[in-house]
Amino acid sequence: MIRRAVLVVLGLVWLGPTYLLIVNASRPAASYDPSRAWAPSGDFALFANFATALESADLGRSLASTALYSVVSPLLGVVIGALAGYTIVVLRLRHGFWWFLLIFGGTVFPSQMLLVPLFVGYSDAGLYDTRLGMILVYTAVNVPLAAFVLRNFYGGVAFSIFEAARMDGASTWRIFWRVYLPLSTSALAAVFILEFTFIWNDLIFGLTLTTTADVRPVMTALAGLMTDVYAGTPVPVGLAAGLVCSLPTVVLFLATQRLFARGLSLGSV
Amino acid sequence: MTRAPMLGRFRYGYVAPAALLVAVLLYAPFLWTAYLSLTRYDGLSEPEWTGLANFAHLLDDPALLTSTRNTLLWVAGTMLLPVGLGLLVAVLSYDLRGGGWYRVPFMLPYALSGAGLAMVWSPVLSHDGVANTLLGVDTAFLQEAPVNTLAMLLVWTWQQLGVNTLLFVVGLQSIPKEPIEAARLDGASGWRLFRHVIWPLMRPLTAVVVGLALVASLKTFDIVWVMTQGGPGRNSETLAVTMYKETFVASDYGYGSAVAVLLTVVTGLASYLYLRRQVR
Repeated sequence: MIRRAVLVVLGLVWLGPTYLLIVNASRPAASYDPSRAWAPSGDFALFANFATALESADLGRSLASTALYSVVSPLLGVVIGALAGYTIVVLRLRHGFWWFLLIFGGTVFPSQMLLVPLFVGYSDAGLYDTRLGMILVYTAVNVPLAAFVLRNFYGGVAFSIFEAARMDGASTWRIFWRVYLPLSTSALAAVFILEFTFIWNDLIFGLTLTTTADVRPVMTALAGLMTDVYAGTPVPVGLAAGLVCSLPTVVLFLATQRLFARGLSLGSV
Repeated sequence: MTRAPMLGRFRYGYVAPAALLVAVLLYAPFLWTAYLSLTRYDGLSEPEWTGLANFAHLLDDPALLTSTRNTLLWVAGTMLLPVGLGLLVAVLSYDLRGGGWYRVPFMLPYALSGAGLAMVWSPVLSHDGVANTLLGVDTAFLQEAPVNTLAMLLVWTWQQLGVNTLLFVVGLQSIPKEPIEAARLDGASGWRLFRHVIWPLMRPLTAVVVGLALVASLKTFDIVWVMTQGGPGRNSETLAVTMYKETFVASDYGYGSAVAVLLTVVTGLASYLYLRRQVR
């Protein structure tokens, strides 16, 4: 069948660099040679390489903070964004399109532009180098995406569902919480994954707005090590650190693949 | 449909959290940047008002021309490769049994951070690296423009394809099954079924994916920063990279802010025009 063949061929092309990543992250640090990168190594040194990376950068506490940010901020962002989307299209907020533009407009600002003002503002407000400050900024950056996706999603949901729930006397909040949110699980999950990954991999906000190991996210902690590659960290050590720190995201993808694979028929009710 | 009656008193309360977060943490910093763009400021002494001098400098800065050209290349390339191929993979796989597993290879790279991306690809693209060995050529992939931008675009496609696929799949799975079944019964299949039935139905989500890609590609930064830092010289800079360099490397906060304002206006205008057509 042509479709499967195309998918398999493309998939193999995509797996090539992934293979390189895994093979070279597992290679003993001293035996790396770019021109022989395809050949697998006899010795499996992934964990030794990762241990080297752990020693060079204080990753344990950073991992805990990052886990907190990447779960709490997307949860808040998804619910706040979905609520805005619901209010705009289902409750027919007056001038809804302009509210939507205002919220979605948040994405037009290049995030590097926010760094200096946020640094100054956070220092004044006592939010600099706090977990609360990081959660706030990550949530704000993610709200527009959630509002955009969920606004479009709810626009496709038949209005009769809302009317029926109103007939039964449900409040608008209850309809949102008990009907619309559950209805949009696949869209919510997709947005959650994107935002989780964005935060998990964020470098610059962590770099600018934190300083202590307790608050600093893991990619920022890793970055020093990674950029050191050119200055002495062996490539396999950097790759191993990058690989192991990507594992939570990979696990999340694989877990939600099953959710999507089940083929939830939503939005068409 | 008639306008619904009074639907709860809390409607403004419901949009308030989203609007407030965005206003305080995203719009306010922009206003501050807009002010700085009218000053000369080195980050230490007080900003000194210079009016439109920074914007006048934008017009005769050759580096800005390069970064504008590269940014446009990123926008066009992003629509073609990560978005176009993403749509293809989604359409091919969404209703296959076990289709999710076919998509796993595309999702894996998305988990990798920007720094990780550079670590994987810099050795591959180096002069004795796998790309040259495999193709039997000796190309300096990251040296000459526009080859370096195109090479980074391919790397970016490798990373971003999966996420576009994921969004398209969500769109495809949320469209109603009945019209498709009906069209199938009428004998439609393959390209015709896609073009005339599926494509119109998945439009809302397509609007989202293309809109996000448009905005993100105008702001392309991470991949360029980790792979070439905009170099060699300044030949692979995008507008976002130019802005960052002027601000944080050259400590010319005023001029960096002017580039930021330009980029924001362009991005805002593009999204507005796009959204007005697609989403309203």
